[in-house]
Amino acid sequence: MKQMIKGFSWVLLLCSLHVIQAQEAQIKVDPEKLVVEVDGTVTIKAVVVDADGKVMPDRVIRYFGRRALTVDSLGNITAHEPGLHQVIVISPDGEGDFLRKDVDVEVKFPPLAKIEIKEIPQKVYAGSTIPLTIQIYDEKGFKREDVKAKLMAAKSHIVGFDPYYNLTALETGTTQVTASIEGIETSFSVDVVPNPVVKLELKSDKSEARTGDVFHFEVKAYDKKGKVLADAPLHYSFEGKSYDVSSTASGVIKQDGRFVADEPGLYAVAVSSGPHVTRMSVNVIPRDVSREIELVGKGLVSDKHTSDLWIWEGIDGKDYAVTGTWGADGTAYFWDVTNPASITKVDSIQVDARTVNDVKVSEDGKICILSREGASNRKNGIVILDVSNPRDVQIISTFTENLTGGVHNLFIYQQHVYALSDGQKYYIISIEDPKNPSIVSKVELETPGHAIHDVWVEDGIAYSSNWSDGVQMVDVGNGIAGGSTTNPVQFASYKYPSGAHHATFPFTSPSTGKFYAVMGDEIFPHGLNMNGPNIAGGFLHFVDFTDLDNPDEVARFQVPGAGSHNYWIDGETLYVAFYNGGVRVVDISGELMGDLYKQGREMAFIMPSDPEAYIPNSPFTWGAQLHKGHIFYSDWNSGLWAAKMNPPAPPETKVETD
Amino acid sequence: MKNYIITVLFGLLACTINAQDYYVYVAAESEDEVSLIKFDGKEAISIKDIPVGVWPAEIEGPHGLTVSPDGKHWFLTLAHGNPFGTIYKFSTETNQVVGQTTLGLFPASMQISTATGLLYCVNFNLHGDMVPSTVSVVDPETMTELKRITTGAMPHGSRISPDGMRHYSVAMMSGELFEIDALNLNIKRVLTLDEPEMKMDHSKMDHSKKEEPMDHSKMDHSKMDHSKKEASMDHSKMGHAGMKHSKVKPTWVIPHPEWNKVYVAGNGANEVLEVDLESWSVSNKFATGKGPYNVEITPDGKKMVVTYKSEGATGIWDLESGKELAKIKNTRKVSHGIAIAPDNKYAFISVEGIGGEPGTVDVLDLESLTKVASVNIGKQAGGIAFWKIEP
Repeated sequence: MKQMIKGFSWVLLLCSLHVIQAQEAQIKVDPEKLVVEVDGTVTIKAVVVDADGKVMPDRVIRYFGRRALTVDSLGNITAHEPGLHQVIVISPDGEGDFLRKDVDVEVKFPPLAKIEIKEIPQKVYAGSTIPLTIQIYDEKGFKREDVKAKLMAAKSHIVGFDPYYNLTALETGTTQVTASIEGIETSFSVDVVPNPVVKLELKSDKSEARTGDVFHFEVKAYDKKGKVLADAPLHYSFEGKSYDVSSTASGVIKQDGRFVADEPGLYAVAVSSGPHVTRMSVNVIPRDVSREIELVGKGLVSDKHTSDLWIWEGIDGKDYAVTGTWGADGTAYFWDVTNPASITKVDSIQVDARTVNDVKVSEDGKICILSREGASNRKNGIVILDVSNPRDVQIISTFTENLTGGVHNLFIYQQHVYALSDGQKYYIISIEDPKNPSIVSKVELETPGHAIHDVWVEDGIAYSSNWSDGVQMVDVGNGIAGGSTTNPVQFASYKYPSGAHHATFPFTSPSTGKFYAVMGDEIFPHGLNMNGPNIAGGFLHFVDFTDLDNPDEVARFQVPGAGSHNYWIDGETLYVAFYNGGVRVVDISGELMGDLYKQGREMAFIMPSDPEAYIPNSPFTWGAQLHKGHIFYSDWNSGLWAAKMNPPAPPETKVETD
Repeated sequence: MKNYIITVLFGLLACTINAQDYYVYVAAESEDEVSLIKFDGKEAISIKDIPVGVWPAEIEGPHGLTVSPDGKHWFLTLAHGNPFGTIYKFSTETNQVVGQTTLGLFPASMQISTATGLLYCVNFNLHGDMVPSTVSVVDPETMTELKRITTGAMPHGSRISPDGMRHYSVAMMSGELFEIDALNLNIKRVLTLDEPEMKMDHSKMDHSKKEEPMDHSKMDHSKMDHSKKEASMDHSKMGHAGMKHSKVKPTWVIPHPEWNKVYVAGNGANEVLEVDLESWSVSNKFATGKGPYNVEITPDGKKMVVTYKSEGATGIWDLESGKELAKIKNTRKVSHGIAIAPDNKYAFISVEGIGGEPGTVDVLDLESLTKVASVNIGKQAGGIAFWKIEP
């Protein structure tokens, strides 16, 4: 026994020594600190040494560069971007283990090369402030945002500066202005001239308006001879006092003279030119568009989540709805909604999918298309249905070519399906023969990491919503850019910084003739609880596309504590699903500018809630659609609903209060 | 008394030895969820469901799973992205994300080499045209993609040789087996798994002579596939020049732990192909159930476990004899992944289910050749990885 213990101890000791030795072998690099310039090369030499510091010549060494570095097998490192990066050195021991050393490589920022000042003012009126646009570039041509130039005037009593590159003309005279940083500089001359303005005249297209109505101010600046000055520096501002002492006057003013107020109150719009100021007061009254909304009916789906909806008039003259399901068993339901007070499920169909995210019906009411995600065979794609008889829906065909990554959204327009593919691009598929669909073209951006969430087609224009690439308008038959389904041509786009753009609805304002793209966000700041209540985020962006080449984001509709999803516009009324905020009905008449919610443009809202729902009493509204005067809306947690707006009360109606 | 104490001690020891808990991670591809399964030798339960993904309203498809050799982290590929997929690194201690990086289109199965410390992940790319895709090499420490190595169309199965120096994957649509040097990160060898098609050059045939009639009896018609009519299709208009549609449709490859061989699931051929790495040729074929999908070999090298995706069953093979010891019906219809316990005792099988059915993990006893436990998880159970055994 003693012998055995002794032997065992020796084995343990030997094992320990082996481990220690193995642990002490290490990678040594030379040099230990590497510094290189962008596009420069530096060489690293690595060896493995044993516990005694002796080089182990048989050990294989390999070098791996990270994003900003490339390194060859000899250790020659080439730097591509400035910053602190690493080279990874790995040496396998031949017994299934390895040594590793991460070596820092400092890639120096290139020296600064030039300062550019854009739109240098030739002359500046005394008393005015001009913002300067200054850009700094390094020797590699990179625009540098990490450094800031210092501005100095040779005669500091003539112009002054703030830290944000704003130049203020203090008194008349000429001076040299120099922008400098790290030994490079650029200069220009500024001529501060007397402000010739002696009088300002301000007028508005109206003196009273409702909240949300846009005032248009015009100003004329005169010199002492009574001549109108075209280039006078002008600056608009406003102040106001709410009629409600518990509220605060607010609004938006643009430097072209447009003003809109959020709160009823008395506002003073001022325009200044140097020391001269003139002002005009306007009265803002309540918009007063609130209407009663009444729940009419519901078709409860209590065993799974519901997704999108589509309402249409069937070929028999009755009205029908189709709703998809989400994260479930691939079912879509068909409903008779002819009497919205008695929504009746008339058929259902189950396809191989976990999510039927989107549903659409052709203009003639005969063909329905379903999107598929999470198919068992991972082929996904779309399913084409004959809904001539919505009580006996039949599958005509399935189509998966190039759509295996999942179809999240789709659209049907003039015998073509527009189907998203794996959140990356969309295909235009001819269903002229619905039994044999065929791809006729595809639309895909070329931007890095491009993605897509939705596509909507109207008047031969496809509006795709491409997250951070914004809305893309593509001619698929309109003719505006010579496009067709087989030759889609992109002709306009707009993106906003949050990159959360998920859906677009085109809107030509009947009262103004302006053309807007209403661009919606989809944001889940708190994630998505599939088994309980949720709170979404995001809002609708109103982008004035009247000038297609110069889109202008002018307004927003945001509901506090809720987030936008799908929506519908009829006339000058918007019906928008705001997830946990239910359905919102919004007056979008007239010119749109500023915060539409704060302006009191919301006419009504309704929250779908039912104790028997899949998630009880937890509104999470997916989409809304107006059909024959009723608002139909699908709710993720409860199914299909219908509501109706009551007519506005006559102005003389007295409302009883306590 | 002495005997009694010895008996009790042995009993206690036996209990201690048997009372082991096995832990596996399983991804539910249509639930965007990963479950941690604990199996105590009798019952399998999900002890934690971990939501994954960043776009809550969309199915992002968690597909591939692997656990780092030291057991401190698990790695998950999310197949769908915008448009590229992502690999996430989680702590096994907290099951929280600790790192991530973007890979290619539909990143799928992966493994870390103990000899290089690097992670190798195939970018399956089943979207659109069947063009060659890649294997991403990732530094799992810093979660940096170091290189993408172009292989074949729809690469799948990503396994490392026992010495950690070679990476194997198969290209499902181009029917190829790729061997990558895990250190130099380049392709060493490619093996076409489909048998060569007969090509006849009719232009050089002299049909004018009729003295020597053709002997049809010498033609091997068994290798001709008359059932398919692809030849009548006009592929010229599809822009598929150079595309190949493998009949073998290999979906997985696993190196043997001791022999110099790898085993390939021939999903389209209903067979497992044994490839001799020395001769770099197919050395044996095992006729299997329908749609062999994943293959794993017990660490002792004795048994091969194969999921039969098309028939919802799992085959257990004795590699020495080349015989299928058992075909075990899985709980649901679509059998998917396999994780084998390091003690060779159990195989954990992920089973997808169809539509709204939950996914399931079946536990197979590799000694009694029976299913001994099942546990339901989220929809479309797929990627599965063994984590640890705990006493």
